[in-house]
This record gives sequence, structure tokens and C-alpha cells, in this order.
Amino acid sequence: MNTRATIKIFQYLVMGVVAIIMFFPILWIITSSFKPLIEFNSYPPSLFPSHLYFENYTQLFLQSKIFIYLRNTLILIVGNTLGTLLSSSIVAYPLARMEFKGRDFIFGIILATMMVPTFVTIVPQYLLFREFGWLDTFLPLIVPAFFAYPYNVFLFRQFYKTIPKELDEAAKIDGCNSWQIFWRIIVPLSRPIFITIGVLSSIFWWNEFFTPLIFIDSENLKPLSVGSYSFSRTMFIIRWDLLMAMSTIMIIPPMILYLFTRRYIMEGVKTTGIK
Amino acid sequence: MAFKRESIVPYLYLLPWIIGFTLFMGGPIIAAIVISFTKWDLLTPPTWVGLSNFINMFSAGSEFWVILKVTLIFMVFSVIITMCWSLFTALLLNQRVRGTGIFSFFYFAPAVVPLISLTFVFQLMFNKELGIVNYVLSLVGMEGPNWLMDSRLALWVVTVLCIYTYFTGQMMLIFDSALKEVPKELYEAAEIDGANAVNKFFKITIPAISPIFFFNLVTGTINSLNTSFALIYPLTAGGPGQATQVMSLDIYVNAFKNFRMGYASAEAVILFAITAMMSLLQFRLSKKWVHYEA
Repeated sequence: MNTRATIKIFQYLVMGVVAIIMFFPILWIITSSFKPLIEFNSYPPSLFPSHLYFENYTQLFLQSKIFIYLRNTLILIVGNTLGTLLSSSIVAYPLARMEFKGRDFIFGIILATMMVPTFVTIVPQYLLFREFGWLDTFLPLIVPAFFAYPYNVFLFRQFYKTIPKELDEAAKIDGCNSWQIFWRIIVPLSRPIFITIGVLSSIFWWNEFFTPLIFIDSENLKPLSVGSYSFSRTMFIIRWDLLMAMSTIMIIPPMILYLFTRRYIMEGVKTTGIK
Repeated sequence: MAFKRESIVPYLYLLPWIIGFTLFMGGPIIAAIVISFTKWDLLTPPTWVGLSNFINMFSAGSEFWVILKVTLIFMVFSVIITMCWSLFTALLLNQRVRGTGIFSFFYFAPAVVPLISLTFVFQLMFNKELGIVNYVLSLVGMEGPNWLMDSRLALWVVTVLCIYTYFTGQMMLIFDSALKEVPKELYEAAEIDGANAVNKFFKITIPAISPIFFFNLVTGTINSLNTSFALIYPLTAGGPGQATQVMSLDIYVNAFKNFRMGYASAEAVILFAITAMMSLLQFRLSKKWVHYEA
């Protein structure tokens, strides 16, 4: 009995240490956002500020374009999430529910393209959007979402596969065409996967750094990720106080979303591994 | 199903993807190959230079060898570290104790927040004079180095920091669900035979999750080539010198800072080849080694 208790304590100890390692940077950002700049230079460094100092936030609102960055991030989230829900849900439908020539081949290509690094295609994409006159607008960041992201097509397809085929058959006998089957049967039964992809897409575009860095130049069009980076670069000395306040603002919304939709996120992320 | 075989209906549903694939994926891959044979600064029209971008890249003393070396070191070690870490954390979440749900919340938390914010705080934590990391080291009587400014250390720091990226969290969740599906009877049978924890891990757990192990290995490798940018660029911008200049950063710098579109595309072609080879190789090997019965 005694050794079992010791093992249990040891297990919790290890799990606790790992939790601290993983959560420490987030905690450090949040607590240090309430430190005045001078405390960033104090040694030894302390996790907590000497007293709660809210001035960083008011200074941040005055000295940075955080509200503009926030607006831009929200535009990217809404555009991409709507676009991918609409297009990917439709594209996945025949892949899961119909038989036609080349289906497995097309699905194979979709799986393979999930593996292609962004850096392979970024230069031609840049040249294409330059040709369209879309550089330094939101268009290169939003329009592709309306043409189905492979990853989301895959997630929709896997979910549709779990819906019993008999429902389609019955609807067909009642005279429904394929679009009516999709719209009246598949979509209403697929609520969980719509939520999952909606949440994952929102988090992804809240965080996305590379593509906005490439396609956006104007300060007034930058989302939070790239905006905070350029904010950190344009200061004469790095204002850690303001940067930590900005980072806190960037961390809280995805954490809250994660807290409330954790089940959906986990389900969506895990599905990738099940083939 | 009863839809007619010749029907164009399925292809109509696929139309958005067909257009998207042509414009944003398939077309660009072909275009990257074509552009890699040109010299193009975007100001003057491209000129055909044949293989000279590739010849320059692989000529003796070319800086590309440095980039390639850094990329491969980063790739190999970040995959080893993130695989070990994600499997370790997934195993922790599968302990027969209460409250694993709360722990998993914290383990996955860094994956959902912006990596750029984490890179800011890493700069504070790894600061030579004032950082918490060196303060902890000083408590045990060691003098900490200047982690991110030391050309021998910077690459290792960013490699280890990969445990905070989204793809490590994803690997953990995938391992976690694979571990939950290992039949309990196998462990019980082994316990009756007197197997200890280490035996059980290598004789039962590893074979049972081997398909997932290989899946994570492939995606982890490719992700390490991809996600590396958002971690390394804000942290070190490839420095000091070129100590952390992985290929993704080099493509970015050549294409969008130096406007060497041809050279950057040649690098993209190499990156594509590495990715394709990795996937093929690992899937081949996995067929040989992996136990699929579990």
C-alpha cells in the first residue's frame, strides 16, 4: 500500500512538472504584462509584478495600432472560416458519398497536398497574386479559402463517412436529388464537424504569421500576429512592458475558445491521425 | 450507389477544389520548377539560365551547403525531440490516475496560442543577464550562456523550443488516442507473465502504436520544415550569422528580401524533393516494420 502511494505521488509530481514547463511561458507573458518597464530589468527576475500595474494596457492602446490589427485579424478569421466551411463541406460530399471515376485518385491527391510545405508554392503564389494586383490586400489571404483547403476537406470527408448510407437511400426513394440529400440530411447531421473546423480555422487565422507577412505591407492591413512583430521591431528600445500586454491580449481569446470548445478541437486534431 | 456512373454531378461538387488545386497548389508546383531554371528579379523580365541556379547551389563553397546542414540538423533533432516529448506527455496522460483531463489542458495550451507571442517571451526568458533560465542555472552555480546569440547554441535552443509548437501538441493528441486504443487485455496478460513496465512498453505499447508512430514521424518531419519559420524567424531571424538559417528562412530571404525568384524557386524544388523523399521512404519502411493487427 505504501509503495503504491509513493508511485502515485511520483506520477503527479512528473505530470505537474511537465504542466509547469508547458504553461510557464504563457503564465510569464500574462503576469509580466502587469509589470512596469523598470521591473523587466530587475534581477533576479520575478514571476509576479511588485504590484498590479495597468498602465501598460492604456499605453499600448495609445501607442500601437492594436485595434486596427485586431480588426484585420477578425476580417481574416471571418473570411477564411466562412470560405472553408462553405467550400470544403461541399467538396468532401462526393468523396464520401458517391462513386465515380477517379475518386480515390483525387482523394489521394488531396491527402498528398496536405504534406506539401507552404514554402514550395509561396513564390509562384506571390507572382500570381501580383499579376492579379492583389498584393497588400486581404484577397490573397481570404480568396483561397473559398476553393477548399485539403485538410478541411479531409476532416469533412471522415465525418460524412460516419453518417449511415441508408439515410441517403431513403431520401432518394422519396425523390431527393443529390443536392437535397446534402442540404437536408448531411449538413444538419454534421453540426459537430462544422463547429470543429470553425474553431480550428479561427484559431489558425488568429495565429497565422507567415502568409500575412508575405502578402501584407501596409501597417493598416496587418493582423495581430504580424502587427505585433512589426511593433516589436519599430521601437527604438524594445518595450517589453507593452509587448507583453499585447501578447496577453493575443493569448486570451484563443485560450477562452480552447476552454469552451476543447472537445471539438481535440476531436478535429486527432482525426488527422486516423486513416 | 445509384448515381449514374458517367454523371458529371460529382465533379461539379469538386469544382471548387479543382480550381483551387490548379491555381494554388498544382500550378504553383509546376511553376516553381519552371522558375527555378530562370533568373528573375521582378524588375526585368525573367531570363532562362538552365541549371545554373542548381549548379551555383551545389558548387563547392556555396552558402547553400551551410543552409542544408542547418536544415538537416534542425529537422532530425526537432523530430527526435518532439516525437519523444509528445510520446512522453501522451504516456503521462494515460496513467491510471485522476485528473489527467486537467493536465492535458495545460499540455496542449501552447499549441492554441500565437507562436509569435511565445517567441517574445522566449527572448525574455533566455536573456543572458536577466533571463529566468540563466537565473535558475545560477542557483546551481552555473553561469548561463547567451543562448540565442551564441552561434553554437542558438540552433539547439530553437530545436528544443519546438515542443511548444502546434505540431507537437497535435502529435501528443494523436499518440494519446492511439494509446487509449491499445487493448487492456494485452497488458493484463503480460502482467500475469510477470512483465515489468519497461517490458510492457517495448513489447506491447510500441508495436501496438507503430502505425501511428510512423504517421507522426512523417508529418512531424514535414511540419518541422514548415512550422520552423514562425518560430525561428522572430527569434533569431536566421542568426547569429547563419547559425539558424533553415531552408524556409532562406527561401523567404531570397525571394522576398533579395528578390532572387529563380534561386528561391530552385531551393523550393529541393525542399519539395526532400519532403517527397521523406514521405516515400518512411511509408516504405513502415510497411516493413509496422504491426497493423493492433
